[in-house]
Amino acid sequence: MSFLRLLSRNRLALAGLIVMSVVVLLALLTPILPLPDPDVTNTAERFKKPFSEGALLGTDHLGRDLASRLMWGTRLSLAVGFAAAVAAATIGAAIGVIAGFYGGRVDNVIMRGVDMLMGFPYILLALAIVAALGPGLLNALIAVAAVNIPFFARNIRGVTVGIAHKEFVDAARLCGMSNARIIITEVVPNVIPVIVIAMSTTIGWMILETAGLSFLGLGSQPPQADLGSMLGEARSALITNPHTSVVPGAMILVIVMAINLLGDGVRDALDPRLKSGALSRPMPTTMVRRKKPVPQPEGDGILSLRDLQTQFHVKDRIYKAVGGVDLSVRPGECLGIIGESGSGKSVTALSIMGLVASPPGVITGGAVHYKGEDLIGAPYETLRRLRGDRVAYIFQDPLATLHPLYTVGAQLIEAIQSHHRTSTSEARARAIELLKSVRIPNAEARVDNYPHEMSGGMRQRVGIAMALANDPEVIIADEPTTALDVTVQAQILALLDDLRRERGLAIIFITHDFGVVAQLCDRVAVMYAGRIVEEGPTDAILNAPAHPYTARLMACVPELGQGRRQLAAIPGLPPVVDKLPAGCAFADRCPKAASACRSGDIDLGPFGPARKIRCIAPEIPVQEATA
Amino acid sequence: MTGYIVKRLISAVPVLLGISVIVFLIMAMIPGDPATAILGSYATPENVEKLNRDLGLDKPLVQRYFIWLGNMLQGDFGRSFSLNRAVLDEVLERFNATLVLAGTSFVICSILGVAAGVVSAARQYGLADKAITFAVLLGISIPSFFLGMMMILIFAVNLRWFPVSGMWPIYGARDLSALVSHLTLPAIALAVVATGVIARLSRSAMLEVLRQDFIRTARAKGVHERSVIWRHGLRAAMVSIIPVLGIQAGFVLSGAVYIEMVFQWPGVGRMLVDAILKRDILLVQGGVVFVAACYVLFNIAVDVAQSLLDPRIKA
Repeated sequence: MSFLRLLSRNRLALAGLIVMSVVVLLALLTPILPLPDPDVTNTAERFKKPFSEGALLGTDHLGRDLASRLMWGTRLSLAVGFAAAVAAATIGAAIGVIAGFYGGRVDNVIMRGVDMLMGFPYILLALAIVAALGPGLLNALIAVAAVNIPFFARNIRGVTVGIAHKEFVDAARLCGMSNARIIITEVVPNVIPVIVIAMSTTIGWMILETAGLSFLGLGSQPPQADLGSMLGEARSALITNPHTSVVPGAMILVIVMAINLLGDGVRDALDPRLKSGALSRPMPTTMVRRKKPVPQPEGDGILSLRDLQTQFHVKDRIYKAVGGVDLSVRPGECLGIIGESGSGKSVTALSIMGLVASPPGVITGGAVHYKGEDLIGAPYETLRRLRGDRVAYIFQDPLATLHPLYTVGAQLIEAIQSHHRTSTSEARARAIELLKSVRIPNAEARVDNYPHEMSGGMRQRVGIAMALANDPEVIIADEPTTALDVTVQAQILALLDDLRRERGLAIIFITHDFGVVAQLCDRVAVMYAGRIVEEGPTDAILNAPAHPYTARLMACVPELGQGRRQLAAIPGLPPVVDKLPAGCAFADRCPKAASACRSGDIDLGPFGPARKIRCIAPEIPVQEATA
Repeated sequence: MTGYIVKRLISAVPVLLGISVIVFLIMAMIPGDPATAILGSYATPENVEKLNRDLGLDKPLVQRYFIWLGNMLQGDFGRSFSLNRAVLDEVLERFNATLVLAGTSFVICSILGVAAGVVSAARQYGLADKAITFAVLLGISIPSFFLGMMMILIFAVNLRWFPVSGMWPIYGARDLSALVSHLTLPAIALAVVATGVIARLSRSAMLEVLRQDFIRTARAKGVHERSVIWRHGLRAAMVSIIPVLGIQAGFVLSGAVYIEMVFQWPGVGRMLVDAILKRDILLVQGGVVFVAACYVLFNIAVDVAQSLLDPRIKA
């Protein structure tokens, strides 16, 4: 039912459906419509123009009524195209199901043959078949059906292979059902939707192809005429009496177009990926829709976030991934952001430079000040100039984040040349220098490697080198060590630490690993459900966590040599960010939660001289905050 | 690289053999007696028998196949009775003309199709995307032979910009400008459908690629959006577009038959249709095998291009 609703929502598909229904209805009604005999010739009345007396669409070169011939021809073309589609689908599906269900050698032999047939230029094979069988409409039908069989066989085989290993097929087998019965009762019903989609996308082709063979004189033979042979016969009078060509040609166009519209609609309605709207590409910058006034810059940070809010708008749902984040980082300082997956830390980081995928991402409020200038809502060109030049990113998983088809050198050179006018040889020298600075051995040779030729640790170093390419002032590192083993991780952290001390870099370091925070960060902010729940100097927070969530999160971390301690998982799950509870988002999982925790919004308030906390029942008294 | 090409060429041998078997079997299905078809219904039984012997048709099927294959490998495709000429000579001459037409069309549809797909994806849901999507739908729905006829009517008959048909002027020099003016209409008419298909698939390939993480990396580096789309996006999308180009090349090559009929182009497609109508089986057989073999070799070239473009394919 929802399928029909989806289809009807697609206006183009609906138009196709209506046109097709009208054409089919007219074709069905043709025998009882008051039309002249399509085959009666009257040479005295030949080539009458359309809309003339007694002949709505005029007459052809033998004086036959074109309107009548058009209707009968349409009827024939539709019937032949449909028959070819059904024949190809049935035989192709049967072959595909057998190949997919039995697998092994049967599959191998069948699919080799199918691939062979698909290797033929399509129409050539149809021509060869017609050549063997002789011209004629039925033979043209057989030829068109035959050349389409491989397409169905291959599609259906793929689906069947998936089904043949499902539990319900195993269950049927264990019940002692025969293979034939399993195929008919379990497999076939599941492949029918695929057959329907494949048919809806190919039936237009088949009508075109049979018309084409008839056009060549290899299909329907006179006096019987489908749309293709009407067009073929009219060709000799094309210049003197174009209407005899336009009438059947336009009809083919209308039919095939309506079928294609309908076929696209059916495919879109049945393809779950399109349903969720996942197939849309992100725009160059994140969409900004700020309703409230933009906060003014304050503090001495080189980069500061003020009440930043980023949401994902998926259909009617709104996911508040970042719900008002305030952060600031000074030159030479490393700020850690820590939290579970889905806490909004990556989205916060990506929002800074407008890199959140949009659609569906929207920045709905707040500001990001870089040296006092607001980046949210800045024009694209301003952002582009700052990206990678002043504010650079290091991403997680460098296999996915480096371009697979360019050498690392080419990607480094591009990073440099996007911001500096330098010759390629100069940029290349600089690229090698950068690779050396991140301690890649044999940098002169490595510069010409592709990402897939490097190890994970090496690729991550390339990612760092790329971030350093233009001597940025801020580096935003989004879990850059998560995919790496511990020794490589330690090297990379040491490298980043050196860099910020040598070059006075400000680093925002996103992680879910307290060990990394302890090693590298001066300050740390703990995020939960899109907001910061605790912030302060790293030592103070790690020694004496004040927010219950921080405390629970740290209790989950195993420590070497302390095997007796119980690892306590946090009960429950983080809240879904499209339905946040009122008050503290952690209340449902917090052992200390009181009714006051659930009533109103809780501010991120000061806790001792250097810390902030979003909690009314801290784990420790405020006097111990500086411990 | 040479090793890879050699490997691909060797792997094409079974495909070529398979094609020859398929064509041979299709032709062996012919109902009735080919000798009667050639000699006509007034032939005497003695003559039929003699011709059958001459054609080797009195031998078993398998033996006939190997004789046929052996002759083909020596360049003997048989003799066309309707043209009274060696099949290979005729096919080669006609194939040249088809190659000019289909090759031009292939260049047109590859460039236009990919460009339209990229623009469409980059401006998803925008005005350009909608216009391209509609044009593509129209393009893949219009029969090429009807389009060709309408183009003749408009651009050759009414506007007189191009000649109506043929490959060369009947009188006058056979130079490049004459060829171009004769080639323009048929090449465009042949390219339209393939352009639509390529544009469609390029669009979805681009949409797929533009969501990848490395595109975000390129943007984070401050690469200009134009480069993000055309350098980073298209380069990665080409990996899935190139096989589509290979398939479309087959459509252009064999779809040329319609255009050759409409524009009286002296190509191999028109030769095949004539041969089918005259029941000149050896000519059909030779023409089909030759074109199919060329297409197999072209597909190897596509694979080689693919491996040059994607360093992850071990050459």
